[in-house]
Amino acid sequence: MKRNLNAALDAWLQQGFRQIGQIVIHPNENGYMLTHEADTERTDLTLYTRATDARALSTLDEHGVFRPLKTAPTLKRGWKLFLPDLAQLRLAVDAFYPAMLGSFFSYQTGQLPAVPLRETLNRQSGMYAVTKKLTDTQANALVGESCNSQSGCLKLLLWKISEETPITSLPPSELDPAQYPQSERGIPLLCAEACNLLVAKAREVVKKSASPG
Amino acid sequence: MTPKPDSALLIVGHGSTVNPDSSAPNLERADEIALRELFGEVHCVFWKEEPSMRQVLHLIDRDDIYVVPNFISEGYFTRTVIPRELELTGPVTQRAGRTFKYCEPVGNHARMTELLMRRAAEVAPGVPPSETTLFIVGHGTNLNDNSAAAAKREVERIGQIGGYAEVLTSYMEEEPLISKWDQWATQPNVVVVPFFISDGLHSYQDIPVLLGIEQEITEAASQRSVFRNNPYRLRGRTLYYSSAIGTEPLFAEVILDQVAAFDQTHPA
Repeated sequence: MKRNLNAALDAWLQQGFRQIGQIVIHPNENGYMLTHEADTERTDLTLYTRATDARALSTLDEHGVFRPLKTAPTLKRGWKLFLPDLAQLRLAVDAFYPAMLGSFFSYQTGQLPAVPLRETLNRQSGMYAVTKKLTDTQANALVGESCNSQSGCLKLLLWKISEETPITSLPPSELDPAQYPQSERGIPLLCAEACNLLVAKAREVVKKSASPG
Repeated sequence: MTPKPDSALLIVGHGSTVNPDSSAPNLERADEIALRELFGEVHCVFWKEEPSMRQVLHLIDRDDIYVVPNFISEGYFTRTVIPRELELTGPVTQRAGRTFKYCEPVGNHARMTELLMRRAAEVAPGVPPSETTLFIVGHGTNLNDNSAAAAKREVERIGQIGGYAEVLTSYMEEEPLISKWDQWATQPNVVVVPFFISDGLHSYQDIPVLLGIEQEITEAASQRSVFRNNPYRLRGRTLYYSSAIGTEPLFAEVILDQVAAFDQTHPA
């Protein structure tokens, strides 16, 4: 089947999906208005009108701190973004939440295989080669600390530590898309493989545990 | 270039977890190229930011994908990390029903020499090259012997063109180290051009400390009101430090040239 993410996004909107991550999508007669989920009732929002504005809106958090992880629960508030058509909407959502529309489409069509953390770490080289030494216990603690939806990342984790070792440090609602609250009609953010940020944190854990004292 | 509506262009960048400016040149070049409607889709992926190289199959609709590494060196990243993360097996890879066409990195392009020389002239207007040492600064790494080759090649070419009293390579992590610039340079004027893609962590924050024009790591370029205060009177010389070569808008042409070069060397 040929992929067409614009068509997939259109279909999800017609099915009633109105949210992705911290963003609410409001279709109207002229196009689409996006706001932060906590800003839906506000009337003092600054208007933006280009899909590329999504990039600037999502680069820094409300304290001016860089957000290298776009799915961190730290999207700043105070803006609304108008987009005239579906293509622009897709570009903007891809800027807010890179590859997340495509990951959901792949998931729905059975093309999003999850890669165990062990596999990700074992193929690292250079400065990250040391992450192979991360123990399962350290890995679970790290995932609980870094990937939880309250302070870490809004994605649902589809992967395990290894085929034999599940993640025990996150609640089931952050691991299983079937438990994602459908009443919110949200497009889920899905994590099929540990990101480089987590690999970098794994390196810190291993180096710290190896250093004396 | 003949439009390729059934192909996607994928620009691969390094990105950063600490500096918001690292990914900017990649995204800007992608925007410029997308406006020309030469490809069905134009995307960026990164090593240290999102979207990652691992998400490429989900990100892209098209089956035919030109991969251009927006990297200076034909080294550790282009030969080890990118092929591994994208699961490439050679210049052409069939994977999951897609065709990946792995182009040369931008830093290999013949126009680098011209762009470096132009950047050097712009940053030190009116300064006679005959009384100037020009440094082309690369990253350098012990992970791949070839990583320093691009800077060496450009220094050779600029030297052959002539004009500068002295043209030298130096590196952040390999000898000759840029931190010892005053030991290598013999001229009263010193122009330093970072052979990097972005004004990110290395080019904007690390190298200025190594040069001595900053005492400690500053904020990112986009978070400061003044980019640079050239020239700097330092260690008995007059020093000019430019922005990274990869911020040059002509890199969009270079990216397109690398796609065209791929088609020439790998005809369908």
